[in-house]
Amino acid sequence: MAEDTATEDPGAPVRFMPQLIGLDYTIKTNPVAAAFGAALADGRITGHRCPSCQRVYAPPKGFCPICVVPTGEADLVEVADRGLVTSWTVLTPIQYAGQKEREDYALASILLDGADGTIGQQRLVDVPLDEIRMGLRVEAVWAPPDERVADDRGYGLGSAVSGWRPTGEPDAPPSAYQEHTL
Amino acid sequence: MPSDTDTTFTMELMYRRSLGPVVGAFLTGLRDQRLLASRTAEGRVICPALEYDPDSGDAVDDLVEVGPGGVVTGWTWVPEPLRKHPSDRPFAWALVQLDGADTALVHALAADGPDAVRTGMRVVPRWADERTGHITDIACFVPEEG
Ligand SMILES: [Zn+2]
Repeated sequence: MAEDTATEDPGAPVRFMPQLIGLDYTIKTNPVAAAFGAALADGRITGHRCPSCQRVYAPPKGFCPICVVPTGEADLVEVADRGLVTSWTVLTPIQYAGQKEREDYALASILLDGADGTIGQQRLVDVPLDEIRMGLRVEAVWAPPDERVADDRGYGLGSAVSGWRPTGEPDAPPSAYQEHTL
Repeated sequence: MPSDTDTTFTMELMYRRSLGPVVGAFLTGLRDQRLLASRTAEGRVICPALEYDPDSGDAVDDLVEVGPGGVVTGWTWVPEPLRKHPSDRPFAWALVQLDGADTALVHALAADGPDAVRTGMRVVPRWADERTGHITDIACFVPEEG
């Protein structure tokens, strides 16, 4: 941020100051999230099926928040690495420190085949922004194995999936996602 | 995929803060190796400089030079510095009342250990080689020689 304080005249009054506000968190990775992260590293998305209501949560939480019953390895299911767009946002990046984006891009909520909840904040790729729509069928673009940082394992997909691209299949009908739109 | 059991998150935002005439002058002073304080109508000398009198709320625009030496009025030892601390070695956060000031400022104090720090000790600033108009223009305070 030297450009913020440097002036033509090095003796000029200081008018601005860069100020970094930041927080570092460290949390213990719980076993459910760790197993989810290990599967992601392996190129698989896993969930838990609630033994009571049969809903599938991916990422798994280790419990069903509706039924308030624990879930575990016995409830583990594989979820597809493809699904459909239920909603999306186009972001126009503003150039602030640390901002790497330069072009408009889209983040979507994606309902994976075999899951009963969406995964949010997923990057859409290989699709013009004005062709994004609810029901668009997409598939995961997996990051190379050594780039799958699991920093937010248990909360999202981290960097395991670098984006989601259209599969070319026909759009899903509204009945497929009407329960999952915002 | 790391096999550790910790997950770390870092959330950071870089602000560009507009300083105004008083704080701007204070930081301009640091860049030029001068320590400035604001003097209220009652004559209280406040360092770091404040834009207002904390007692009356009145605007303050009278700046006076203080220091560069001062006295430690309180301190705490930091045995394990964090990433964003001003030192990667153990240090003290100290309240330093600069000569001529009526209030103390917080800054890092470099010392060999907690046994080398005491309330009442005299300290002087160690200036950073590259100064940009930031509180880190004082790299730290160090015990006064002799
Ligand atoms: Zn349930």
